[in-house]
Amino acid sequence: MAKKLYVFGIGGTGSRVLKAMAMLFASGAKLENGFDVVIPIIIDPDTSNGDLNRTKDILRLYQEIRNQVEQPDDFFSQEIKTINELANNSAVVNPDYFQFKLRDIDQNTFNQYIGFDSLGEDFRNSTDDKNFVRLLYSEQNLRSNLDVGFKGNPNMGSIVLNQFTNSDDFTKFGQTFNDGDAIFIINSIFGGTGAAGFPLLLKNLRGNSSLPRYAKISVSPIGGITFLPYFSLSRQDEINSESFEEKAKIAIDYYNRTIISQNKINTLYFVGNRGNTNHEDYAVGGQDQKNKAHFLELAGALSIFDFCKNIDAITSTTQIKEFGIEKITENISFDDLNIENAKQLSTPLTKFKLYTEYLNKGLPKALISSRWTKGNIKLVTKSKQSLLDKNYFNSAEYKTQIQAYNNYFDEWLKEMKENKPAFSPFEEINSDNALEVVKNKVPNGNKSFKSLDLENCLLSDNVSIRSTEKKHTTLIKMFGKTTEKVLLKRNLLIR
Amino acid sequence: MNELFAALYENNWFGLYNQDFPLIFDNLFDNSGYILMGLSFILIPLVCLSLFYFLWKYPYGKIWHWLVWLLVIILIVSGVSYGIANTEIFASNNQALNDALNDASTGYDNYAASLPLKYALFNGALTLVLGFLYSLVLKQISKIQIHLPF
Repeated sequence: MAKKLYVFGIGGTGSRVLKAMAMLFASGAKLENGFDVVIPIIIDPDTSNGDLNRTKDILRLYQEIRNQVEQPDDFFSQEIKTINELANNSAVVNPDYFQFKLRDIDQNTFNQYIGFDSLGEDFRNSTDDKNFVRLLYSEQNLRSNLDVGFKGNPNMGSIVLNQFTNSDDFTKFGQTFNDGDAIFIINSIFGGTGAAGFPLLLKNLRGNSSLPRYAKISVSPIGGITFLPYFSLSRQDEINSESFEEKAKIAIDYYNRTIISQNKINTLYFVGNRGNTNHEDYAVGGQDQKNKAHFLELAGALSIFDFCKNIDAITSTTQIKEFGIEKITENISFDDLNIENAKQLSTPLTKFKLYTEYLNKGLPKALISSRWTKGNIKLVTKSKQSLLDKNYFNSAEYKTQIQAYNNYFDEWLKEMKENKPAFSPFEEINSDNALEVVKNKVPNGNKSFKSLDLENCLLSDNVSIRSTEKKHTTLIKMFGKTTEKVLLKRNLLIR
Repeated sequence: MNELFAALYENNWFGLYNQDFPLIFDNLFDNSGYILMGLSFILIPLVCLSLFYFLWKYPYGKIWHWLVWLLVIILIVSGVSYGIANTEIFASNNQALNDALNDASTGYDNYAASLPLKYALFNGALTLVLGFLYSLVLKQISKIQIHLPF
């Protein structure tokens, strides 16, 4: 039976790891042990957050493309669904359902949210007391607008996020949970939303008996990844990145006492980076918070794969895992990773990179002359006409879905390359040296896109990749197979 | 097969046949000259176009590639036909034909000299037609050049 993995991404880091996960799925990486469906759930009060909206758009495009592929078996093979689709058995793609909605945060400041103004000032004659609240929250905390998140203040987050377990979305989550399903939680420990949301969510999953199917959920396999500080900010203001490490230490101590030592989670991954970290542009939230993609977010996404792979080996005591690379370097390539991670990443990412580069730089030549782009060949049967002709590449679906997703993929790789430490396993290429795409690997023979076009021609009329009903079937299935064939022949993959 | 090709080549198109010089045509018939020329315009385009459609692993084939290849095939067939006709007529063991060719008064010499070129042109024309027809058939099972010539 198909199993589901619910992946909660809390805060900005959660969104960015979900983005990395979607990129790996698009590239053909797939969860093991029968986890056929992944349900990403973003928990973030900052609804206009740039990272959040970019991730939601990527997930939307992923679903739109996958829905137009007949039985995907390589690129886009992992199924992604929203809670709403599962609960209502609906096929409507709506990225808003990737996010759990938090009530009463849109227009409210924190003091309005907690009803601070209605509290009494006179502690002797009143049952409640503003002064006590002032001990816990600064004036700045109380005046903060909640629609941009908690600005690195988990003490605010722990109050506001407590409500999401009472939401309709959370109820739907419980209703759709079945035997064999598992949960994974992504958070950062040095901010506001993630640091506060993780223990709260875990507490409710393990102990909230009002949750539908609580009996199943409370004993289900739960894994999580906690990000230690891995970037700093360009200036210090309301959010002070100099406090990231101190906050992380305090939070780890809390996690250790309340989560790890009490075995509330089966596997907890830690990842972080000290020293040579990147300075992100300062933003307290909103549209301006659009941090560059970072290699550690990709490493974080790998923990999801590791969790599913080892799901049968989990124990009742919490296992702690850390991520590391083989060689310390400022420019990480596949050769710098440990061999297992290199194998995990090399094949899917190189294939998808070649595919996106091809569509950008190699397609124009093929459109003029290559058989696999010809849909009006005279005197041959319809089954031999290409479904990927000029009409397809000029279609709105190609431009607004395939191109848009590929642009996000290119942007994601570019951002990781520009970050510190940089993840740059690929070389800049043009149509003449396309197969020199993998850093430190120079293939013999012709290096252009010719061999890819050749494989496309050979596969063009193969019935296994053709579908007239689902528009992207041929493109996605063809390139999934042909990129692998070309890269394997030239020995460009780590296997 | 000999009869079939004889019927093809012993016609008056291109002035290929002249009943005043029967020794030449009898010699071509008896020494399988017609068969060799016939097979050259049938087999050479078949082999060459098979190479084009099945062994040429070039994914950017355009119609001018096909046209150039067909022209090359025509030149090969014409050259081979010229060689066959020339050999069969001028290097024959047929004593009567050789005598006639050596006797200028018979007119054999002049007439025979023009024949290899005529056969070359005729076979070239046949190759053009047959090559086109072959292309229509072979492209059906070609994976890479299925779109050529159109």
